Order: sequence, then C-alpha cells, then structure tokens
Amino acid sequence: MTHRYIKISVTVAVLLLAFTGLLWSTLREGTEYFKHVDEVMTNRQAWEGKKLQLHGYVVPGSIYRKRDSLEYRFKVQNNPARSSDHGSVVEASYTGIVPDTFKDEAEVVLRGSLGSDGFHTDPNGVVAKCPSKYEAKAGIAGT
Amino acid sequence: MAALGSFLLLAAFVVCSYAAVISVVGARRGSRRLIESGVGAFYLTCALMTVASAVMINAFLTGDYSIKYVVHYSDSVQPLFYKITSYWGGLDGSIMFWVFLLSVFGTIAVAVNRERYRELIPYVVATISTVEMFFLYLMVVHKNPFTTYLTNVPADGEGLNPLLQNYWMAIHPPSLYTGFVGMTIPFAFGIAALVTGHLDDSWLRAVRRWTMFSWLFLSFGLTLGMIWAYEELGWGGYWAWDPVENAGLLPWFTATAFLHSVMVQERRNMLRVWNVTLVILTFFLTIFGTFMTRSGVVQSVHAFGEDRTLAWLFTIFMIAILTFSFGLVIYRLPLLRARNELDSWMSREAAFLVNNWILVFCAVFVLFATMFPTLSEAVTGERLTVGPPFFNKWMLPIGLVLLFLTGLGPLLAWRKSTLHNIRNQFMWPTIAAVVTLAALAAVGLRQWAPLACFALCALVTATITQEFWRGAVIRRKNTGTDFLTALIGLVGRNKRRYGGYIVHVGIVLVFLGFAGNAYKRDEQVQLKPGQQMTIGRYTLRNDGVKLSDDGQKQMITAYIAVFENGNQIDTLYPARWYYQKHENEPTTEVAIRRTVAEDLYIVLAADKQGVATQNATLQVVVNPLVNWIWFGFGVLAFGTGIALLPERAFSFALAKLPAEAATSTAAFLLMLLLGGATLSAQQQQQHMGPPPVQSTDDVRTSYYARTPLERQLQHEIVCTCGACGHANIGECRKDACGVSHQMRGELAAFIDQGKSHDEIIQAFVTKYSSEEMLGAPLNKGFNRLAWLFPYLLGAAGAFAVAFAAIRWSRHPQSTPEAVPPADPELEERLDDELRDLD
Repeated sequence: MTHRYIKISVTVAVLLLAFTGLLWSTLREGTEYFKHVDEVMTNRQAWEGKKLQLHGYVVPGSIYRKRDSLEYRFKVQNNPARSSDHGSVVEASYTGIVPDTFKDEAEVVLRGSLGSDGFHTDPNGVVAKCPSKYEAKAGIAGT
Repeated sequence: MAALGSFLLLAAFVVCSYAAVISVVGARRGSRRLIESGVGAFYLTCALMTVASAVMINAFLTGDYSIKYVVHYSDSVQPLFYKITSYWGGLDGSIMFWVFLLSVFGTIAVAVNRERYRELIPYVVATISTVEMFFLYLMVVHKNPFTTYLTNVPADGEGLNPLLQNYWMAIHPPSLYTGFVGMTIPFAFGIAALVTGHLDDSWLRAVRRWTMFSWLFLSFGLTLGMIWAYEELGWGGYWAWDPVENAGLLPWFTATAFLHSVMVQERRNMLRVWNVTLVILTFFLTIFGTFMTRSGVVQSVHAFGEDRTLAWLFTIFMIAILTFSFGLVIYRLPLLRARNELDSWMSREAAFLVNNWILVFCAVFVLFATMFPTLSEAVTGERLTVGPPFFNKWMLPIGLVLLFLTGLGPLLAWRKSTLHNIRNQFMWPTIAAVVTLAALAAVGLRQWAPLACFALCALVTATITQEFWRGAVIRRKNTGTDFLTALIGLVGRNKRRYGGYIVHVGIVLVFLGFAGNAYKRDEQVQLKPGQQMTIGRYTLRNDGVKLSDDGQKQMITAYIAVFENGNQIDTLYPARWYYQKHENEPTTEVAIRRTVAEDLYIVLAADKQGVATQNATLQVVVNPLVNWIWFGFGVLAFGTGIALLPERAFSFALAKLPAEAATSTAAFLLMLLLGGATLSAQQQQQHMGPPPVQSTDDVRTSYYARTPLERQLQHEIVCTCGACGHANIGECRKDACGVSHQMRGELAAFIDQGKSHDEIIQAFVTKYSSEEMLGAPLNKGFNRLAWLFPYLLGAAGAFAVAFAAIRWSRHPQSTPEAVPPADPELEERLDDELRDLD
C-alpha cells in the first residue's frame, strides 16, 4: 500500500512542478501591466520597454491623422477632460483602424510599450469606451 | 401594471419559501400530504413567474414608459421582435427571465420524475426553490425590474443598443440561459440523492437527459455568441477570451466532463464522488459566471456595470452553495465509495478519466486566467492582465490532447485492452492520420499546431467511421438485412453511443475551423477611389463610398469589387449604420463572401470624411475554414438529438423528455408572444390619441425641478398633507394638495440660497421637527439600520426557513411527552373535518 502511495505522490508532485513551471514561464511572457498614465509617467524610465496596458483619457483636440493613411498621433492624460486636474500626459502613436468610440475625451486602454518618443500602440491595441454612460448601454452580452 | 408585477414577484418569493420548507418537512416526517403541498406550491411559483413574465412583456409591447427598465431597453420605433427580446436585454430582466426559466424547467422535471423518483422529489423541490428564492430575493430587494419612475415619466424609451438589435443576439442569451438554468436540475437531483442517501445510479438516470439537453443549449448559446461576434462586432474573429464568453465556457467544460464520466459510473460503478462533484461544480460555475459578469468583479468590454451590493449577495450565496454541497459530499463519503478499481491504464475508463481531468483542468485554467487581473490586484496590488495569446498558448495543446483522446477512447476496451485488440483497432485510424500528415506536409504546410490538428481530425474521423462500419457489418450478418438498414438499426439500438460519435464528428469539424485560424490574414488599408489591394488570392478595388438614409438610420456603404485571377467574382458592400438616438455608436455591417474553403471578410471603418473623399478605410480578413465551425455545431446538435431520443422509441413523437421540455418551453413562449401581441395591438391604438394629460400637470406646477439636485430632493422628501399616502413632494400634485406645493416652494427657496443636499435635509428636519417627511431614511448613524433592514430581513428569512424546516420535521416520537394526552374521539372528529376541507 505504501508503495502505491509513494508512486501517486511522486506523480502528483512531478505534474504539479511541471505545471507550475510552465505556468510561471508563460505568465512571464503573457502578462501585461495594467497602469494609469500617472503611474507610468512618474517613473518613466522604469516602464520603458515593458508590455503595458495603459489606461487614460484622450486629450481633446490632440488626435492627428496623417493624410491618406492610417497613422495616428494623439495624447492621453490620466484624468477625464472634465476634471480640473488632468494629471500626466503621454504622447501615443498607432497605425491601423481605430474603434468608433475612439475620439476626444474617450476613455481608452492602449496595449503596447513605452518608448523614449512616446507610447507605441500595438496593432489592434486600442480599446475605447464611450465618453458617457457606457454602463447603461452595455446591455446584454450573453451572461 | 408595474405594481402587479412587483406583487407577483413578492408572491412568488413567499410561495417559493413555503415550497422549500414544506417539502423538507414533508420528506422528513414522511408525510405524503405535505410533500404534495410543496409540489403544488412549486407549480404555483411557475404560474406566478409566467404571469409576471407576461406582465413584463406586455409592458414592453404597450410601451409602459413609467417602468424604468422598459425605458432603458426599448423605444416606440423598435420592431416588435426586439421589444420582446428586450425582456432579457438588461440585468434586472435577465434575472427575472432566469427565475422564470428555472421555475418552468423545475416544474417539468418534477412532473416527469414525480412517480419514478418519489424519494428524491421533495428535496429536488426544496433545492430548486431555494435557488429561486435567492434570485427572487435579489429582485425584490435590490434589482426589481418593475421599478417605476415616480415623477417625470419619459414619453419614450432610450432604445435597445443597436449592436444588440441583431437576430443572433436576440436568441443567444435565452439559449445560453436555458443551458445555464438547465444545469440547476441535475444539481437539485444530486443534492436530493446526497441528502436522502439514495446514491445508486437512479439519480443519474434522472439527470442524464437534462444534462445533455442543457449541454446542447449551452453549446448552442456559445456558438450563437461566436456568430454574433463574427458578424456583428466586426473585428474579424469569433472568440476573444473575453470574461463574458469565458463565463459561458466554464460550465460547458465541467458538463462535458460529467457527460463522459457518467458512463464510467454506469458501466463500472466507479467515479461516484467525482460525478457528484462535477454536477455541483457545473452548477456552481453557472452561478459564478453570472456573478462574474453581473457584478463588475472582472472588467470586460461587455459586462454589465459594477454593482457592489450584488457582488456581496452573490458571494454569500456562492459560499453557501459550496459549503452546503461539499459538506454533504463529505458526510456521504462512506456511501460514495467506488465498488471497482481501475484495472489498467489501457482501458476506456482510463481514457475517460484523463479526458475528465483535462476538461476540469480547462475549466480551472480559464477561470484562473479570467480572474487573473482581479487576483493579481488582490495579492500584489498590481493589476496584471493576460491577453488572448496567453489563453491560446495553453488551450491549443490542451485542445489537441482532448482531440486525441476523442479518437482514442472508442478504440480502447472497457477494463483492459489486449495488445492484439489494440493492433486491430488502431491500424486504420493511425494510417489515416499519418497519410493526412504526410499529404499536408507535402503540400507545404509547416506550422506544427494546425498540422497536428488536421492529423488528429483524420484520426478521430477514421475511428468513428471504423466504429460505424464494424458495427454495421456485424449487425448485417446477425439480422441479414442490407447495410443501410443495419446502420440505422445500429444507431437505433444504442443511440447514446452512436449519437455521441456523431457529436464527436461535429467536434472534429469545429476543430478544423479552429485550425484554419492559423492561416488567417488580416490587413488594414485605406483605399482611394479606384485603388487596388491584394490579399491572399483576392484583389480588391474601391468603387466608391455612398451615403444613404432610410429614416431610421444613416448608412455609409463602400462598394468593393472583388477579383480573382483577373476576373471580377463579386462585389461586396461593407457598411456603417448610424441609428437615430445612437449616432455615437454606429454599427458595423460586415460584408462576408462565404465559401467552403474560406471567408473574405471586409469591415468598413468609421470615417466620416470617407464620403467626401471617397476613400474607404478597410479591415480585410481572410478566414480559412471558418464556416466549418458553424457546420460542425449543426452536426453536434444532430448527434445530441439522436442521443437524446428515448431509449425505446426511435422517433421524436414518442419522446418523453427533454424533447418534450424543449417543445413545451417553445410552446409556452409562443403562447406568451401571441398573447402579448394581441394586447399590444389593442394598446397601440390607444396610444394614437393625444399625449397623456399628466404633462400639462407638470407645467402647471410652479416649482418644477430645475436642477438634478432639486429633482433628487423632491423625490426624497415626502408630502405631509396626509391625503396622498406619503407620496413624495415631486409626485404629490393633487389639486387639493397645497401642502406639497408649499413644500416644493420651500425647497426651491433653499436651492436658490445655494444650500447643499445635507443642509436642506437638515433644514426640513428642523422645520418639521421630525424625519417624518423624509422619503428614505438618512444613510448614516442609527438610520443606517433602516438601510440594512432588507438584508437583515433576508438573512433572518433564510434562517427562519431553515429553522422551520428542521423544527417542524422533527419526528413526533422524539418528544412524546410534549404531546398532550390524546382524545381518540376528538382526533377522529378532527380528522373527518379536515378531510372534508380537502
């Protein structure tokens, strides 16, 4: 009987170890930090080059699009445009199609990494919420 | 109408509590009459919920805009169909719909199994009633869908989000709910079996079909969600590992595991603890999925908003479920001990076991990764997120292993496979897999994952074909008929087995579609008029962008000519629609050219200048094999249908359940719709008349709320005139009521003085020297008790129910001295009289 229990526990231990190792290694590459603009900009050097999901609000009037292309440059600030203190601001760039909800004052989450010349957004890395009343309109989405 | 609805919900709650208590009491006392009474009350809940649903649908159809829920999710121009589907369009209504479905399913399950599983029924009734009680409590206390506007009733609703005005989206939630809610039935039977100790296979027989039925609808719901995402959301894919999607997938994994492990228990009497655990887990995950998406715990693009109260209520309920269920399992462990042990790892039960582990692991993994942002924030304080790549990295190999097991399982024998047996069984499938692999490698496919997937698909298909072939050959020999008759006879003789194989074929097709995803191409371009682009074997040319308007919406449409080998094969019209009232949320009208091999999928991006410049900003995606996913689901549904056929009959006509459950549900809904439709026809005519008079009332009142603060206060302060039954001063506008007029005046004066909310309340309290005129008690100090009251009441109610159930059901003989000396004559007379009452 004890022999059997040893066998089982060794198997379980090996499986667990392998599993944890795999999980650890994939998590290290797979995770992204979810950060607000302020958190990143106060210690900019530390975050450069890391994979980030940057949360902020589009600065009104800051969206520029290169003529006849899909290249965008815009600015993102920490706090909503309505608030008195806007918090830190970061320059961002993106190439591709932006969501409909991406416009002035929109709350955005950008996936990408911070470089010395601003935030480089990954392809399809812009998630934008409606500027107002998003919740009421979320409606159904399965369960 | 709203008052009637609220009352019905409250009544349902009371009746439900009664059903829960009296069933437990009846079962413990062994009283047939009490049990019958409980079942009766249980049926009554169903009736009450049906009427309440009818009231709700009626409110939508007639446009009763005094109900907040109706205002939020519909408007007068909405098509009839979407008015009805708005019922489950929002949080409050979806909870109500949930209870409605649960009561209907519960009633069917009890009615069908009442005689066969007599000893289980009272506890089944009690369990389902308790679950219903929870959701009804949620509605009564926290999320009443019948909440009305007390003042300022809007003339029209805000309209359902245009994104949701899609056929798939209309039927996706009910299908998913059907799957979710259906899982409560196996759970109830499992609990009943645990409580009564009748842990043989009988409860499994009762729930097997229900699980299959719910599983089918769960799969259907997931597929519809994918189709919706693919066709309506327009980002080029169908699955993004969004928490809301994952919530539906979690119970699907455990339910799939259960459907497999049931067979092991039936055949080999093993895995009994495991099966009970799976049933409990599946139910728990349905509740957890609801919690995850409804409470805002996990951030998602399309989850409902954040709601802390709801989160707490759900957490308490989930802890209660887990403690109670697993407490019972531990208590019954001695009865659940397996009668057999695993003989060999080369056996079918071992394959099933591994398949179960992997499926449960899938559930745990998806759960972990979905909750990861929340978990990491709780543990480290840093919000870390994991994206789809992380999910894919893990789920891809796991999926392939599962697919391999799908092929392996049927080839292994029960108990132990001999070497000869293995060689005989594995030869053809292995050859098929190797040949496929070689052929595809020769064609030039190099990525390992899709290659492995294609080879495994071949393996599984070959396995299943071999099973059908060999079975039919033997049957032909035995019965002496032709091959086709033998094949049908084979399926008819063992529907669950061969139905299951057909389900596997469906799964193979779905996997084919997934594998195609590896060869997906995705490009984003801006095309000037006449400019061309090439993707895969297609060349696209922008033939212009046009603007049109059909009254309900503005449409921007791009004309895209599609060429292949220099010949024009098609013109596609990707578009953007801007619905009125929702101009900021244009909907994407994807243009898809479907073929068996691949989809050409074009999305027009929102670009208002596009019409002026004639430039088309496009996302162009080539999705190989994607249609096989939908087709695979069709095959899967067909296979499940065969497996669901009753044991004896080979026709749907004689089906007892759940074919019956499905049809009666459908009939039920249809009846509701028809009833509602006639009502609406009548009511809409009334609506044609002049607008309601109350609007003139509003104008005549001099102190109409000017600011949000004033409106809020008008609703918080109650009129003291005594004639209006404590309506708030915003609402008490009776001609005779000078009091509310005066109070509104005072309020306006305070507002003009620039006083804050608290100051004004304080001033009113001082003036009337009591808090009598406060519509709601202040949320601080001692008054907070009043806010806590409903929750305390809920908790007290739960305790009371439990207490009553235990107390009343105490066996009379345990306290014989307490019974007063019996007067036989009196008792007899009492009995007679009671009988007459019945």
